[in-house]
Amino acid sequence: MKNKQFLLSIFLVILSINLLSAESGSIDFLRSTGKIYSVVAVIAVIFLGISWYLFRLDNKITKLEKEIYNEEKR
Amino acid sequence: MRSLWWKILGVIIFLYVIIVGMSTPMKPGFTGDVVPFLHKAGTKATFSVTGYNTHFTQPDTKAWLKLDSSSLVEIHDINAKSDVEAIFSVQLPTHLPTQDSTLDATLLVSNSKDGTAILPGALFITQETIDPNVTSFNNISKIDFPRYEGFAFPFRSTLHETVRNTFFHVAIWFAMYTVLIVGLIYSIRYLMRPKMRYDIIASSFTEVGVLLGFLGIMTGSVWARFTWGAFWTPDVKLNTAASFILIYSAYLVLRASMPDQDRRAKVSAAYNIFAFATMVPLIIIIPRLTDSLHPGNGGNPALGGEDLDNTLRMVFYPAIIAITLLSVWISSLVSRLRLLKDDYMSRR
Repeated sequence: MKNKQFLLSIFLVILSINLLSAESGSIDFLRSTGKIYSVVAVIAVIFLGISWYLFRLDNKITKLEKEIYNEEKR
Repeated sequence: MRSLWWKILGVIIFLYVIIVGMSTPMKPGFTGDVVPFLHKAGTKATFSVTGYNTHFTQPDTKAWLKLDSSSLVEIHDINAKSDVEAIFSVQLPTHLPTQDSTLDATLLVSNSKDGTAILPGALFITQETIDPNVTSFNNISKIDFPRYEGFAFPFRSTLHETVRNTFFHVAIWFAMYTVLIVGLIYSIRYLMRPKMRYDIIASSFTEVGVLLGFLGIMTGSVWARFTWGAFWTPDVKLNTAASFILIYSAYLVLRASMPDQDRRAKVSAAYNIFAFATMVPLIIIIPRLTDSLHPGNGGNPALGGEDLDNTLRMVFYPAIIAITLLSVWISSLVSRLRLLKDDYMSRR
Protein backbone atom coordinates (compact mmCIF):
# COMPACT_ATOMS: atom_id res chain seq x y z
CA MET A 1 0.00 0.00 0.00
CA LYS A 2 2.77 2.39 0.96
CA ASN A 3 4.55 1.53 -2.25
CA LYS A 4 1.49 2.41 -4.29
CA GLN A 5 1.18 5.81 -2.64
CA PHE A 6 4.84 6.46 -3.32
CA LEU A 7 4.48 5.56 -7.00
CA LEU A 8 1.43 7.82 -7.20
CA SER A 9 3.40 10.73 -5.74
CA ILE A 10 6.19 10.20 -8.30
CA PHE A 11 3.59 10.20 -11.06
CA LEU A 12 2.05 13.43 -9.73
CA VAL A 13 5.44 15.15 -9.57
CA ILE A 14 6.15 14.23 -13.19
CA LEU A 15 2.66 15.36 -14.17
CA SER A 16 3.12 18.70 -12.40
CA ILE A 17 6.43 19.29 -14.22
CA ASN A 18 4.58 18.62 -17.47
CA LEU A 19 1.72 20.96 -16.59
CA LEU A 20 4.07 23.71 -15.44
CA SER A 21 5.96 23.58 -18.69
CA ALA A 22 2.83 23.63 -20.82
CA GLU A 23 1.03 26.35 -18.89
CA SER A 24 2.04 29.72 -20.23
CA GLY A 25 3.86 29.47 -23.52
CA SER A 26 7.46 30.50 -23.77
CA ILE A 27 8.11 32.06 -20.36
CA ASP A 28 7.15 29.65 -17.59
CA PHE A 29 8.50 28.78 -14.18
CA LEU A 30 10.90 26.00 -15.18
CA ARG A 31 12.34 28.11 -17.98
CA SER A 32 12.77 31.25 -15.89
CA THR A 33 16.25 32.40 -14.80
CA GLY A 34 18.15 30.57 -17.50
CA LYS A 35 16.29 27.21 -17.14
CA ILE A 36 17.96 26.48 -13.78
CA TYR A 37 14.78 24.79 -12.52
CA SER A 38 15.08 22.09 -15.17
CA VAL A 39 18.36 21.10 -13.47
CA VAL A 40 16.43 20.94 -10.19
CA ALA A 41 13.84 18.71 -11.91
CA VAL A 42 16.59 16.37 -13.15
CA ILE A 43 18.10 16.05 -9.67
CA ALA A 44 14.61 15.45 -8.22
CA VAL A 45 13.97 12.64 -10.74
CA ILE A 46 17.25 10.93 -9.79
CA PHE A 47 16.58 11.33 -6.08
CA LEU A 48 13.00 10.01 -6.36
CA GLY A 49 14.16 7.03 -8.43
CA ILE A 50 16.92 6.05 -6.02
CA SER A 51 14.70 6.52 -2.96
CA TRP A 52 11.97 4.38 -4.55
CA TYR A 53 14.57 1.64 -4.98
CA LEU A 54 15.78 2.05 -1.39
CA PHE A 55 12.18 1.77 -0.11
CA ARG A 56 11.84 -1.52 -1.97
CA LEU A 57 15.14 -2.73 -0.50
CA ASP A 58 13.92 -1.69 2.96
CA ASN A 59 10.74 -3.75 2.49
CA LYS A 60 12.75 -6.83 1.51
CA ILE A 61 15.04 -6.49 4.54
CA THR A 62 12.00 -6.14 6.82
CA LYS A 63 10.52 -9.33 5.35
CA LEU A 64 13.73 -11.28 5.96
CA GLU A 65 14.00 -9.93 9.50
CA LYS A 66 10.43 -10.96 10.30
CA GLU A 67 11.09 -14.43 8.94
CA ILE A 68 14.21 -14.85 11.06
CA TYR A 69 12.51 -13.59 14.26
CA ASN A 70 9.46 -15.81 13.73
CA GLU A 71 11.81 -18.78 13.30
CA GLU A 72 13.58 -17.99 16.58
CA LYS A 73 10.33 -17.73 18.52
CA ARG A 74 9.18 -21.16 17.50
CA MET B 1 33.08 -4.57 -0.02
CA ARG B 2 32.62 -4.06 3.72
CA SER B 3 35.24 -1.33 4.14
CA LEU B 4 33.84 2.11 4.73
CA TRP B 5 36.31 4.54 3.19
CA TRP B 6 35.14 4.40 -0.44
CA LYS B 7 31.52 4.97 0.59
CA ILE B 8 32.52 8.09 2.55
CA LEU B 9 34.67 9.13 -0.43
CA GLY B 10 31.65 8.76 -2.73
CA VAL B 11 29.46 10.89 -0.44
CA ILE B 12 32.14 13.60 -0.11
CA ILE B 13 32.75 13.76 -3.88
CA PHE B 14 29.00 13.88 -4.55
CA LEU B 15 28.68 16.76 -2.06
CA TYR B 16 31.51 18.55 -3.92
CA VAL B 17 29.66 17.99 -7.22
CA ILE B 18 26.39 19.42 -5.87
CA ILE B 19 28.04 22.45 -4.22
CA VAL B 20 30.53 23.42 -6.95
CA GLY B 21 28.28 22.27 -9.80
CA MET B 22 25.31 24.31 -8.64
CA SER B 23 27.00 27.43 -7.23
CA THR B 24 29.46 28.20 -10.04
CA PRO B 25 28.01 31.06 -12.11
CA MET B 26 27.46 30.96 -15.86
CA LYS B 27 29.50 33.17 -18.16
CA PRO B 28 27.55 36.15 -19.55
CA GLY B 29 25.35 35.33 -22.51
CA PHE B 30 21.98 36.03 -24.09
CA THR B 31 18.55 34.53 -23.50
CA GLY B 32 15.57 34.88 -25.77
CA ASP B 33 15.53 36.37 -29.24
CA VAL B 34 16.63 39.68 -30.63
CA VAL B 35 13.53 41.80 -31.37
CA PRO B 36 12.99 42.49 -34.25
CA PHE B 37 14.91 39.69 -35.92
CA LEU B 38 14.61 40.60 -39.64
CA HIS B 39 16.53 43.57 -41.09
CA LYS B 40 17.42 44.97 -44.52
CA ALA B 41 20.90 45.93 -45.67
CA GLY B 42 21.50 49.66 -45.99
CA THR B 43 18.90 50.58 -43.35
CA LYS B 44 19.31 51.56 -39.74
CA ALA B 45 18.67 48.50 -37.57
CA THR B 46 17.31 49.06 -34.07
CA PHE B 47 16.80 45.99 -31.90
CA SER B 48 16.55 44.98 -28.27
CA VAL B 49 18.49 42.15 -26.61
CA THR B 50 18.10 40.31 -23.29
CA GLY B 51 21.31 39.37 -21.54
CA TYR B 52 22.02 36.82 -18.83
CA ASN B 53 24.61 37.60 -16.11
CA THR B 54 25.62 40.60 -18.24
CA HIS B 55 26.42 44.16 -17.18
CA PHE B 56 25.30 46.34 -20.07
CA THR B 57 25.42 49.49 -17.91
CA GLN B 58 29.23 49.30 -17.64
CA PRO B 59 30.63 52.47 -19.24
CA ASP B 60 33.16 50.59 -21.38
CA THR B 61 30.53 48.35 -23.02
CA LYS B 62 31.11 47.87 -26.74
CA ALA B 63 29.09 45.92 -29.29
CA TRP B 64 29.64 44.63 -32.80
CA LEU B 65 27.79 42.76 -35.52
CA LYS B 66 29.91 40.02 -37.07
CA LEU B 67 28.85 39.54 -40.70
CA ASP B 68 31.33 36.83 -41.72
CA SER B 69 34.53 35.33 -40.34
CA SER B 70 36.46 38.59 -40.67
CA SER B 71 33.90 41.39 -41.05
CA LEU B 72 32.74 43.48 -38.10
CA VAL B 73 30.36 46.45 -37.93
CA GLU B 74 30.70 48.37 -34.69
CA ILE B 75 27.47 49.35 -32.92
CA HIS B 76 27.99 52.88 -31.58
CA ASP B 77 24.48 53.53 -30.31
CA ILE B 78 24.06 51.45 -27.14
CA ASN B 79 21.09 52.28 -24.92
CA ALA B 80 21.33 50.12 -21.80
CA LYS B 81 18.03 50.04 -19.87
CA SER B 82 19.45 47.78 -17.20
CA ASP B 83 22.30 45.30 -16.80
CA VAL B 84 20.39 42.68 -18.75
CA GLU B 85 18.35 44.78 -21.18
CA ALA B 86 19.63 47.03 -23.93
CA ILE B 87 18.57 48.56 -27.24
CA PHE B 88 21.18 48.68 -29.98
CA SER B 89 21.08 50.84 -33.11
CA VAL B 90 23.40 50.39 -36.06
CA GLN B 91 23.62 51.54 -39.69
CA LEU B 92 23.91 48.37 -41.78
CA PRO B 93 26.19 48.48 -44.86
CA THR B 94 24.48 48.72 -48.29
CA HIS B 95 26.15 45.54 -49.50
CA LEU B 96 26.79 42.54 -47.33
CA PRO B 97 30.11 40.65 -47.70
CA THR B 98 28.41 37.65 -49.30
CA GLN B 99 27.21 36.51 -52.72
CA ASP B 100 23.90 35.33 -51.19
CA SER B 101 20.87 37.51 -50.67
CA THR B 102 20.65 36.70 -46.95
CA LEU B 103 23.10 36.61 -44.05
CA ASP B 104 23.06 35.54 -40.38
CA ALA B 105 24.83 38.13 -38.27
CA THR B 106 26.43 37.33 -34.92
CA LEU B 107 26.18 39.80 -32.07
CA LEU B 108 29.24 40.44 -29.86
CA VAL B 109 29.00 42.50 -26.69
CA SER B 110 32.03 43.10 -24.50
CA ASN B 111 33.12 45.05 -21.45
CA SER B 112 35.79 44.68 -18.80
CA LYS B 113 33.44 42.87 -16.37
CA ASP B 114 31.75 40.37 -18.70
CA GLY B 115 34.49 39.62 -21.19
CA THR B 116 32.90 39.02 -24.59
CA ALA B 117 29.39 37.58 -24.83
CA ILE B 118 28.42 36.04 -28.19
CA LEU B 119 24.97 35.46 -29.70
CA PRO B 120 25.19 33.47 -32.96
CA GLY B 121 22.43 34.07 -35.51
CA ALA B 122 21.29 37.20 -33.70
CA LEU B 123 20.03 39.05 -36.79
CA PHE B 124 18.79 37.87 -40.18
CA ILE B 125 19.77 40.46 -42.79
CA THR B 126 18.52 40.49 -46.38
CA GLN B 127 19.96 42.49 -49.28
CA GLU B 128 18.15 43.34 -52.50
CA THR B 129 21.17 43.73 -54.79
CA ILE B 130 24.36 41.71 -54.64
CA ASP B 131 27.67 43.46 -55.21
CA PRO B 132 29.90 41.00 -57.13
CA ASN B 133 33.09 42.86 -56.15
CA VAL B 134 32.35 42.92 -52.42
CA THR B 135 35.15 41.72 -50.14
CA SER B 136 35.36 41.01 -46.44
CA PHE B 137 36.06 44.04 -44.26
CA ASN B 138 39.07 42.27 -42.65
CA ASN B 139 38.84 44.33 -39.47
CA ILE B 140 38.28 41.61 -36.85
CA SER B 141 41.98 41.12 -36.10
CA LYS B 142 42.38 44.81 -35.18
CA ILE B 143 40.11 44.49 -32.15
CA ASP B 144 41.27 43.11 -28.83
CA PHE B 145 38.30 41.30 -27.31
CA PRO B 146 38.40 41.12 -23.49
CA ARG B 147 38.15 37.68 -21.88
CA TYR B 148 36.01 36.75 -18.89
CA GLU B 149 38.14 36.64 -15.74
CA GLY B 150 37.10 34.12 -13.13
CA PHE B 151 35.67 30.64 -12.72
CA ALA B 152 32.42 30.17 -14.63
CA PHE B 153 30.73 27.59 -16.83
CA PRO B 154 30.42 28.32 -20.58
CA PHE B 155 27.10 29.77 -21.68
CA ARG B 156 25.70 27.97 -24.73
CA SER B 157 22.62 29.14 -26.58
CA THR B 158 19.52 26.98 -25.87
CA LEU B 159 21.43 25.13 -23.12
CA HIS B 160 21.76 28.06 -20.70
CA GLU B 161 21.90 26.74 -17.11
CA THR B 162 20.92 23.21 -18.14
CA VAL B 163 24.59 22.56 -19.01
CA ARG B 164 24.80 21.52 -15.34
CA ASN B 165 22.66 18.47 -16.15
CA THR B 166 25.85 16.98 -17.66
CA PHE B 167 27.04 16.22 -14.12
CA PHE B 168 23.98 14.10 -13.37
CA HIS B 169 22.53 12.76 -16.63
CA VAL B 170 25.84 11.77 -18.26
CA ALA B 171 27.43 10.56 -15.01
CA ILE B 172 24.46 8.23 -14.44
CA TRP B 173 25.07 6.55 -17.80
CA PHE B 174 28.76 6.10 -16.97
CA ALA B 175 27.84 4.58 -13.61
CA MET B 176 25.37 2.30 -15.39
CA TYR B 177 28.09 1.01 -17.74
CA THR B 178 30.34 0.22 -14.74
CA VAL B 179 27.62 -1.60 -12.82
CA LEU B 180 26.51 -3.60 -15.88
CA ILE B 181 30.12 -4.60 -16.63
CA VAL B 182 30.47 -5.95 -13.07
CA GLY B 183 27.22 -7.88 -13.60
CA LEU B 184 28.56 -9.26 -16.89
CA ILE B 185 31.82 -10.41 -15.28
CA TYR B 186 29.96 -12.30 -12.56
CA SER B 187 27.61 -13.87 -15.14
CA ILE B 188 30.65 -15.16 -17.05
CA ARG B 189 32.19 -16.42 -13.80
CA TYR B 190 28.95 -18.26 -13.02
CA LEU B 191 29.00 -20.01 -16.39
CA MET B 192 32.63 -21.00 -15.81
CA ARG B 193 32.04 -22.26 -12.30
CA PRO B 194 28.38 -22.50 -11.17
CA LYS B 195 28.38 -20.99 -7.68
CA MET B 196 25.13 -19.44 -6.38
CA ARG B 197 27.15 -16.53 -4.99
CA TYR B 198 28.18 -15.39 -8.51
CA ASP B 199 24.59 -15.49 -9.73
CA ILE B 200 23.38 -13.39 -6.81
CA ILE B 201 26.07 -10.73 -7.31
CA ALA B 202 25.46 -10.62 -11.10
CA SER B 203 21.70 -10.20 -10.66
CA SER B 204 22.04 -7.45 -8.01
CA PHE B 205 24.46 -5.37 -10.07
CA THR B 206 22.40 -5.78 -13.25
CA GLU B 207 19.22 -4.78 -11.41
CA VAL B 208 20.81 -1.55 -10.19
CA GLY B 209 22.13 -1.01 -13.73
CA VAL B 210 18.58 -1.21 -15.09
CA LEU B 211 17.42 1.30 -12.44
CA LEU B 212 20.22 3.69 -13.51
CA GLY B 213 19.28 3.19 -17.17
CA PHE B 214 15.67 4.16 -16.45
CA LEU B 215 16.87 7.22 -14.49
CA GLY B 216 19.20 8.12 -17.37
CA ILE B 217 16.32 8.01 -19.86
CA MET B 218 14.00 9.99 -17.56
CA THR B 219 16.57 12.71 -16.81
CA GLY B 220 17.43 12.92 -20.51
CA SER B 221 13.75 13.29 -21.25
CA VAL B 222 13.36 16.21 -18.82
CA TRP B 223 16.50 17.82 -20.26
CA ALA B 224 15.20 17.38 -23.83
CA ARG B 225 11.92 19.11 -22.89
CA PHE B 226 13.78 22.35 -22.10
CA THR B 227 16.35 22.30 -24.89
CA TRP B 228 14.83 20.42 -27.84
CA GLY B 229 11.24 21.25 -26.86
CA ALA B 230 9.76 17.77 -26.38
CA PHE B 231 10.01 14.98 -23.83
CA TRP B 232 10.65 12.44 -26.57
CA THR B 233 11.80 12.82 -30.15
CA PRO B 234 12.13 9.96 -32.66
CA ASP B 235 15.90 10.29 -32.52
CA VAL B 236 18.26 7.35 -33.13
CA LYS B 237 20.05 7.62 -29.81
CA LEU B 238 16.82 7.88 -27.83
CA ASN B 239 15.15 4.95 -29.55
CA THR B 240 18.19 2.66 -29.33
CA ALA B 241 18.59 3.58 -25.65
CA ALA B 242 14.92 2.74 -25.04
CA SER B 243 15.21 -0.63 -26.80
CA PHE B 244 18.36 -1.44 -24.85
CA ILE B 245 16.54 -0.71 -21.58
CA LEU B 246 13.70 -3.01 -22.69
CA ILE B 247 16.22 -5.81 -23.45
CA TYR B 248 17.67 -5.45 -19.96
CA SER B 249 14.21 -5.29 -18.37
CA ALA B 250 13.54 -8.65 -20.02
CA TYR B 251 16.45 -9.99 -17.94
CA LEU B 252 14.53 -9.14 -14.76
CA VAL B 253 11.29 -10.61 -16.16
CA LEU B 254 13.17 -13.77 -17.17
CA ARG B 255 14.56 -14.20 -13.66
CA ALA B 256 11.20 -13.61 -12.02
CA SER B 257 9.52 -16.20 -14.25
CA MET B 258 11.74 -19.15 -13.25
CA PRO B 259 11.18 -20.75 -9.84
CA ASP B 260 14.01 -23.28 -10.14
CA GLN B 261 17.20 -21.64 -8.78
CA ASP B 262 19.86 -23.44 -10.80
CA ARG B 263 18.02 -23.18 -14.07
CA ARG B 264 17.27 -19.50 -13.47
CA ALA B 265 20.92 -18.80 -12.72
CA LYS B 266 22.17 -20.58 -15.84
CA VAL B 267 19.63 -19.07 -18.29
CA SER B 268 19.88 -15.54 -16.90
CA ALA B 269 23.71 -15.62 -16.97
CA ALA B 270 23.60 -16.56 -20.64
CA TYR B 271 20.95 -13.91 -21.34
CA ASN B 272 23.01 -11.26 -19.52
CA ILE B 273 25.93 -11.84 -21.88
CA PHE B 274 23.57 -11.51 -24.84
CA ALA B 275 22.03 -8.32 -23.42
CA PHE B 276 25.43 -6.73 -22.88
CA ALA B 277 26.48 -7.68 -26.40
CA THR B 278 23.43 -5.90 -27.84
CA MET B 279 24.05 -2.80 -25.72
CA VAL B 280 27.39 -1.98 -27.34
CA PRO B 281 26.10 -1.59 -30.93
CA LEU B 282 22.75 -0.12 -29.80
CA ILE B 283 24.10 2.73 -27.66
CA ILE B 284 27.70 3.17 -28.76
CA ILE B 285 27.90 2.29 -32.48
CA ILE B 286 24.57 2.83 -34.30
CA PRO B 287 23.94 6.44 -33.09
CA ARG B 288 27.43 7.44 -34.27
CA LEU B 289 26.72 6.21 -37.78
CA THR B 290 23.64 8.37 -38.32
CA ASP B 291 22.50 11.91 -37.63
CA SER B 292 21.31 12.58 -34.12
CA LEU B 293 20.36 15.56 -32.00
CA HIS B 294 22.15 13.99 -29.09
CA PRO B 295 25.76 15.15 -28.54
CA GLY B 296 28.45 12.57 -29.22
CA ASN B 297 26.72 11.27 -32.37
CA GLY B 298 26.63 12.03 -36.08
CA GLY B 299 29.45 14.55 -35.98
CA ASN B 300 28.14 16.21 -32.80
CA PRO B 301 30.99 16.63 -30.33
CA ALA B 302 30.27 15.46 -26.78
CA LEU B 303 33.43 15.32 -24.70
CA GLY B 304 35.34 17.96 -26.61
CA GLY B 305 35.38 21.42 -28.08
CA GLU B 306 33.66 24.22 -26.23
CA ASP B 307 30.76 22.04 -25.08
CA LEU B 308 32.81 20.49 -22.29
CA ASP B 309 35.54 22.92 -21.33
CA ASN B 310 37.98 22.62 -18.45
CA THR B 311 35.68 24.29 -15.92
CA LEU B 312 32.96 21.72 -16.59
CA ARG B 313 35.52 18.90 -16.49
CA MET B 314 36.49 19.90 -12.94
CA VAL B 315 32.99 18.88 -11.83
CA PHE B 316 32.06 16.33 -14.51
CA TYR B 317 34.84 13.79 -13.86
CA PRO B 318 34.32 13.83 -10.05
CA ALA B 319 30.57 13.42 -10.72
CA ILE B 320 31.24 10.21 -12.69
CA ILE B 321 33.40 8.85 -9.84
CA ALA B 322 30.88 9.84 -7.16
CA ILE B 323 27.78 8.39 -8.83
CA THR B 324 29.69 5.22 -9.78
CA LEU B 325 30.82 4.72 -6.16
CA LEU B 326 27.28 5.34 -4.85
CA SER B 327 25.70 2.90 -7.30
CA VAL B 328 28.30 0.22 -6.51
CA TRP B 329 27.40 0.81 -2.86
CA ILE B 330 23.68 0.29 -3.51
CA SER B 331 24.41 -2.82 -5.62
CA SER B 332 26.63 -4.29 -2.91
CA LEU B 333 23.88 -3.70 -0.32
CA VAL B 334 21.39 -5.57 -2.51
CA SER B 335 23.78 -8.46 -3.11
CA ARG B 336 24.69 -8.70 0.60
CA LEU B 337 21.00 -8.90 1.50
CA ARG B 338 20.42 -11.63 -1.08
CA LEU B 339 23.49 -13.57 0.02
CA LEU B 340 22.23 -13.46 3.62
CA LYS B 341 18.80 -14.62 2.52
CA ASP B 342 20.30 -17.43 0.45
CA ASP B 343 22.46 -18.50 3.38
CA TYR B 344 19.48 -18.44 5.77
CA MET B 345 17.24 -20.40 3.41
CA SER B 346 19.85 -23.11 2.86
CA ARG B 347 20.48 -23.55 6.60
CA ARG B 348 16.81 -23.84 7.52
